Formats: sequence, C-alpha cells, structure tokens
Amino acid sequence: MRIELDRPRCEGHGLCEEAAPTLMHLDDDGELVIDVPEVDGADLDAAKAAVRVCPVAALRLAAA
Amino acid sequence: MTMRRIVVVGNGIAGLTACDSLRSAGFDGELTVVGAEPHHPYSRPALSKALLHGDDALQAHQLPEPTHDATELLGVSATGLDPDARLVRLDEGGELPYDGLVIASGSRARRLSSGQGGVGQGAGGPGAGGPQRDGFPRELTLRTIEDAVLLKERVAARPSVIVIGGGPLGMEVASGCLHMGCEVTLVSDVKPLSRQLGGHLADIFTSAAVRRGLRVVGGGQARLVDHGTGTRVVLAEGTELHADLVVTAVGDEPNIEWLAGSDLLTDGALRVDSRGRVRPEIVAAGDVAFFPTLRGVQRVPLWTSAIDQAKVAAVGLLQGDAAPEFNFQPYFWTEGFGVSLKAVGFMPVAGEPDFCEPGTGNDSLLLRWDNVVGSGTAAAVNYRIPVPKLRRLADEGPAALRPAAPARAEPARA
Ligand SMILES: Cc1cc2nc3c(=O)[nH]c(=O)nc-3n(C[C@H](O)[C@H](O)[C@H](O)COP(=O)(O)OP(=O)(O)OC[C@H]3O[C@@H](n4cnc5c(N)ncnc54)[C@H](O)[C@@H]3O)c2cc1C
Ligand code: SF4
Repeated sequence: MRIELDRPRCEGHGLCEEAAPTLMHLDDDGELVIDVPEVDGADLDAAKAAVRVCPVAALRLAAA
Repeated sequence: MTMRRIVVVGNGIAGLTACDSLRSAGFDGELTVVGAEPHHPYSRPALSKALLHGDDALQAHQLPEPTHDATELLGVSATGLDPDARLVRLDEGGELPYDGLVIASGSRARRLSSGQGGVGQGAGGPGAGGPQRDGFPRELTLRTIEDAVLLKERVAARPSVIVIGGGPLGMEVASGCLHMGCEVTLVSDVKPLSRQLGGHLADIFTSAAVRRGLRVVGGGQARLVDHGTGTRVVLAEGTELHADLVVTAVGDEPNIEWLAGSDLLTDGALRVDSRGRVRPEIVAAGDVAFFPTLRGVQRVPLWTSAIDQAKVAAVGLLQGDAAPEFNFQPYFWTEGFGVSLKAVGFMPVAGEPDFCEPGTGNDSLLLRWDNVVGSGTAAAVNYRIPVPKLRRLADEGPAALRPAAPARAEPARA
C-alpha cells in the first residue's frame, strides 16, 4: 500500500508522526514529509494507525 | 479466562481505535462493534472547522474505512448491560455475549431545552442531539454529521444567529457563522474560552473575534423561550435577545443511560483505572470515561485523549496488570476568527506566559507556561511547529527549541 497525503488539507498536527514516527515526520516548517511511502507488514499497521488519527483526514492508504 | 469474544459499544474514534489496537495487540477472536450512528467513524473536530467554514463537498470529516475486520452493527444501540451474565442487550432485541467489553459510547451535546422533552435517552445517535422536534424551542446543537449538515443548511440563508456557550465549540460555531455572513451574538457567562484556555489565550481569541464583528454578551444562566417565529434567549438578569437561529454549545453529557442498573457507575459516573479498566473484563475509553490524570480523576472529552485512552484500554483488556499504565499527555487545538491554536500540556494556564517568542507571520506566537504540577504547557498561536517539537518545548522549556550544536542532519528518529 502507498501512503498519500492531501497536502492542502494537512494542518500539521503531527498526530500521524506520533503514531508512525518511522514512516513520516514534520519538518522544521511544520510540513509533513512521508519518509516511507510504500508500506507493508508491520509498517502497514503503523501506517493505518497514522491515517486514522489524522483529525482532518489528510492521509490515505491507496493500493500501490 | 481467554478472550474469544470482545464487544465494543460505540463506533466513534474511541471504538475504532480500540478495535484497531486489539488487533495490533494480537487479538484474533470475534470482534463486534455496536454503533448507534449508521456511519463508520468520522472526524467530529472537522464538523465545526473545515465543514462549517467551507468545504461544500462535505468531505473534511471522512476517515478511511475500518480494516479491523469486526462485525459492525451500525444503527444499533446497546440498551442494557448484565455484567454478571456478560451480556449486552440491544435495542433491536437480542443480546450479545462477551468475554471482554469495551465501553466507548461517547457523549452527546447537552441541550438547554432538555428539561422540556425526551431528548437524552441514551443513544446520542442520529437525532438525539439533532434537530428540534415540534414544539421544542429552536435550539440547534452540533455533535453529529447530521447536526452539521442541518446547521450548514440553516446558516446558508444568513439568519441572525445567537450562539450560547463560550467554549471552543461555541467559538468555532460563531466563527463559522460569521464567516458565512451571518450577524452573530455569542452569549457566555464568562470571558469566552477563559475556562478552557486561561485568560491570556482567551484574550487573543476574543479580541480577534470582536475585530471580525462578533458581538459578545455576558449573561449568566441563559434560558430559551419558544415563541411563534424563532427563539428568544432570556439572560439571568432578564435581558431578552432575539435571533432567527439559536445554536447552543453548552457542554456534553456522557452516554451512560444504557449502563443504569449495571453497578458499573460510581456516583453516576463511569470511572476507569490507569489501564482503562472498570473491571478486569470491562474497559472504557473516550468521552464517556473518567480517568486518573495528574490533575485528578476527570473526563477529557477531546480527540487525542479518546485515541490514547482507547489504545491503553485495549491492551488493558487483553493483558491486565501487565499492560502499561496511561500517561496522559494533553493535546488541544482550536481555530476560528483567523486564529489557530495548538497546545500541549494541561490547560487552562494561569497568568501571563513565562516564555514568549514571536513568529514570522501575522500575530504568530510561541508561548510557554511553567506549571506547578507536571511539565509545562506550550502553545503555538498561528505558528507552524511540529507537535513533537511543541511537546519538547512543554517538557524541557525553551532550550528544546535551539538546535543542539553538532550535526542536525536527521538523527535516527526515536
Ligand atoms: C463539533 C465538534 C468539534 C470538536 N472539536 C474538537 C477539537 O478541535 N479538538 C479535540 O481534541 N476534540 C474536539 N472535539 C471532541 C472530539 O471530537 C471527541 O472527544 C471525540 O470524538 C470522542 O470520541 P468518542 O469515540 O469517545 O465518542 P463519540 O465520538 O461520541 O462516539 C461514541 C459513539 O457511540 C455511539 N453510541 C452512544 N451510545 C450508544 C449505545 N448505547 N449503543 C451503541 N452506540 C452508542 C454514539 O452514537 C457515537 O457514535 C469536538 C467535538 C465536536 C462535537
Ligand atoms: S495528522 Fe493529519 S493534519 Fe496532522 S500532520 Fe498528519 S496528516 Fe497533517
């Protein structure tokens, strides 16, 4: 699966980073950077958790 | 006893997170979610923000579909619980047996007119916090997607609006209505947001609101009086206000009616321990639950609180005393009147901040307060900052903001 970000929606809450710190992070300007866009296995669980916590639904998982 | 069947009551973010966390913690038995709302979980915070301030496609609230592989009974309410027989009773008849139970039934909007009608019967699902029924004062509340759609429809005609309640929700609704071109009066017994944020941050929002045309009226215990066309709001000292539309945002009430007679409530409240447990085989999470924090046992009806509680409760249910205890780290945000706030740490904060740094943008500020108990509180006002960094500012103080002298080239992220 592929993690996709709807950038205009992202408000930089960073809750996703707290759920999946190995997959994404906010840079110093508060812009979200997806470090590992293609995920499977254990990463997939973390990615799902990240996608769910985003209160503005800016993240999605799409078929790779 | 091994858990083969777990029932989750409530299909909000707490119920969803509990299901996901049970699966990640290895539970592969039968999982059933009972949810009064006929939808998959969605984002409530978006209802009073993106959805009310624009977003005509009505999408801002949508969350990805669940993948926890639970049997979902949507549009179904739990009406009773027999903790000895381990049975959840359903409104459609029938009972669900369980080995483990997650209570995540959330809360509903408190209504000023609830004394006058049958609202508040448990579910908190569609309609329960929703539109006025015949003969009721015309009071709208905002809790569900249906409420949001109705409010948006009504506001589109640019009615004059009275919002009662100066908390974050009332302020967000007022901001949305102003933004849509309505004339808006906010009735609040104290300075708006001061109870939730403290005076300093409340001032920032209130002055931005007044600059944008919000009329703020103080006025104790407001009452609603129905009359032919529209609603009158009567303030404590007798002043009357009129508007085409009255929206109340006067707090929430936990959905615990279905637990009456189950012995689980203490003084009418559902309390959990530091691992989310009410009993070894029953946990609770989210807006419905009172849990221990550094500032005492309380309900913290907020998004990340619901998520974090649900994670702890899921593991607490499966692992008992071996599960980690909840270390509650408050995170709060709100926006309105062109001001956006993110805050980490306990609120409200008293007095002036101990640290204040302007940002680059307009009215952009980074603030920190020392707290007597626990770590500090850090707030970003119109200031883009990664929340983990804001958390470090709260925990460690301003030194956390300065780059550590040597290489800052992306260290391994913990
Ligand atoms: C408009 C609005 C804006 C908000 N903005 C913010 C914000 O900016 N930041 C923030 O942190 N928080 C915000 N919140 C609060 C946040 O949304 C809640 O804390 C969070 O959604 C709570 O989730 P929950 O799952 O505990 O409860 P709920 O979302 O209430 O979910 C409980 C679910 O259980 C169902 N249910 C109830 N009783 C039964 C029953 N007997 N049987 C079956 N199902 C039942 C309900 O219908 C509901 O679907 C906002 C809330 C609202 C309403
Ligand atoms: S949680 Fe959502 S809004 Fe926040 S940084 Fe992640 S994607 Fe952006």
